[in-house]
Amino acid sequence: MLDIKDLQARIGETEILRGLTLNVKAGEVHAIMGPNGSGKSTLAQVVAGHEDYEVTGGSVQFKGKDLLELAPEERAREGIFLGFQYPVEIPGVNNAYLLKAAVNAKRQHQGLDEIDAFEFLKLAREKMALLEMDPKFLNRGVNEGFSGGEKKRNEILQMAMLEPDLAILDETDSGLDIDALKAVANGVNALRSPDRAIILVTHYQRLLDYIEPDFVHVLSAGRIIRSGDKSLALELEKKGYEWVREAANA
Amino acid sequence: MSEPAFNHEALLQAVRDLPVDSLTASRRDAANLFVARGFPTVRDEDWKYTDLSNVIEISQQSLQVASAPAAIDEDLLRQTQANLDAHWIVIANGKVLEQHSPGTNIPGVQSGSLQKTDLAIDEPLADLNLALLRDGLKLDICAEFAPDKPLGLLFIDTVENAVASTHARVNISLERNANARIVEAHVSSGPAQHYSNCVLHLDLAEGAVCEYLRLQDRATNHSQTARLNVSLKRDSSLHHGSFDLGGRLTRNDLNVAIQGRNATARFNGLYIVADGQHVDNHTKVDHLVGPAISQQEYRGVLSGHCRAVWNGKAIVHKGADGTDATQANHNLLLSDAAEIDAKPELEIDADDVKCAHGTTVGQLDERALFYLRARGISKPDAKRILTRAFAATIVNTSPISEAHEFLGGQVEERLRTIDDGRQS
Ligand SMILES: Nc1ncnc2c1ncn2[C@@H]1O[C@H](COP(=O)(O)OP(=O)(O)O)[C@@H](O)[C@H]1O
Ligand SMILES: [Mg+2]
Repeated sequence: MLDIKDLQARIGETEILRGLTLNVKAGEVHAIMGPNGSGKSTLAQVVAGHEDYEVTGGSVQFKGKDLLELAPEERAREGIFLGFQYPVEIPGVNNAYLLKAAVNAKRQHQGLDEIDAFEFLKLAREKMALLEMDPKFLNRGVNEGFSGGEKKRNEILQMAMLEPDLAILDETDSGLDIDALKAVANGVNALRSPDRAIILVTHYQRLLDYIEPDFVHVLSAGRIIRSGDKSLALELEKKGYEWVREAANA
Repeated sequence: MSEPAFNHEALLQAVRDLPVDSLTASRRDAANLFVARGFPTVRDEDWKYTDLSNVIEISQQSLQVASAPAAIDEDLLRQTQANLDAHWIVIANGKVLEQHSPGTNIPGVQSGSLQKTDLAIDEPLADLNLALLRDGLKLDICAEFAPDKPLGLLFIDTVENAVASTHARVNISLERNANARIVEAHVSSGPAQHYSNCVLHLDLAEGAVCEYLRLQDRATNHSQTARLNVSLKRDSSLHHGSFDLGGRLTRNDLNVAIQGRNATARFNGLYIVADGQHVDNHTKVDHLVGPAISQQEYRGVLSGHCRAVWNGKAIVHKGADGTDATQANHNLLLSDAAEIDAKPELEIDADDVKCAHGTTVGQLDERALFYLRARGISKPDAKRILTRAFAATIVNTSPISEAHEFLGGQVEERLRTIDDGRQS
């Protein structure tokens, strides 16, 4: 589904991704771990199409298409969803309005009619129940005045409504208490299917207790330096990132 | 910069030619005062960014053309009245149109002509207004006034091929504990140039409450200067909302004098300024006593080659302790050729005062743009959504809530015109 080869990207003069290779197939859940500043968010943003990052080498294919050719909105409509590490507050834009606009943008791309208003509300309420979100969040400004946990749940709500082929969740678990973490994990697990793939960017092994990954990768200084199954996450938890870095250098 | 010459003799003659009535002496005094000072110029601090050359030319030419006023644009009149439900008083080309003004005849409102004692304002354009005033309206709103819908003042000007100017004046007073909701709308049409000079007074007696919505949507070849002087007595409260969507050159002066303790003045404004337009909002709040609250937020969306000015002044006079004054002005610049001059001013001569102000000038938030695009929304749509959200904040907090839908629609229409202009 997603095929990243030798990806190099920078922002201004700073090289951040330095030859990153990652292959994600439908049905798989990948976890990307790594110390602060290693380039995890950069990877997520580059895949989503953020224009501040300049891709200087390598390639990214998504469902057989050259992803780097596409504008961010086209990538989203093709089925990529980025759950932001720092969701943006947009006062004056109603949460329901954004959800509906996003759903309709995708439906239009698929040649479908706009979603019926009743259908939309029903779907939104269903997904909110799964995430244990109060329906009143629909009528608030996008992320406006939301707590950290509410913002993360709101990201998962958008994901649940859009049903992407590939979801990249950037530290969706950070700052969540245990109940919120479980709710978020519920939302993610509900999306798991043989047709979809999920990339979890995370700092902690904690999330992986609730969402079991098929693969775990360690990112350091813009490269994947080690890959393994979920036992790698446990090992990291015990031994720290220094251990992988030393092993990689040896 | 030099202003076009204005023939003062022609003005004095025009004033002498007006029919003799109870205002004749006042008109002549005002004309003499005006002649002594002339039009404000860009050398005056308060007019630094607003050049009245075109207004001077229109004023000059309309003195010389002694043609009868054009017939009223009935379609525009009907359309405006249909859009906003109110007990209307229509002031067409400067005169009250009795047959269209049921608002002068509703219980709790006493209407009449302005008297000599109602007239003093020390300001050149107000002098000019009085010098050429045909008909002044006075509205006294009593405590039993409790209508189902707002009272509406509709200033409608129609021109044909002759350049014209209109001078209108209305004094509104709310008696003790009166409660009034007022809509003031300005519309105009016609091919020739036009200048409207409006002077309004709003006095709130003790405990009076007023919601006041002003909508200016003139033709883009017509200019306007409008002054509203407000006085607030003890425990009174004003919520004022101001929308400038049309017009070529627009200058609004909103002066609020807080004369009684525990008075509140809240005023918000939105100006959408496109290619060729100029909108200048000057506000001034005199906190003469405290405690009292004044709160203002103006927002502007600027596009094309245009200019907007916002100058918000708060003066906390000696002894006005417990004053709480906030001012905010935010501007969205959608083009490099748009210019904004924003200036908050605070003069504080009292203790125990809470004052805050902030102004911003900027483009759309890039982070929000990317966020929306990452949800599949196209870049032009994302821009449209964010621009509307910026303006919606003012629409949603403006007075006269039943007008929000219409206002939102008007704002949407203006922004859509701007979008179309940007794409071509
Ligand atoms: N907008 C930016 N401008 C400059 N440097 C940036 C920017 N974004 C990220 N970086 C730098 O790139 C590196 C990787 O950042 P990031 O991808 O956010 O790491 P992670 O998500 O793994 O913590 C860091 O050194 C960070 O300082
Ligand atoms: Mg990060």
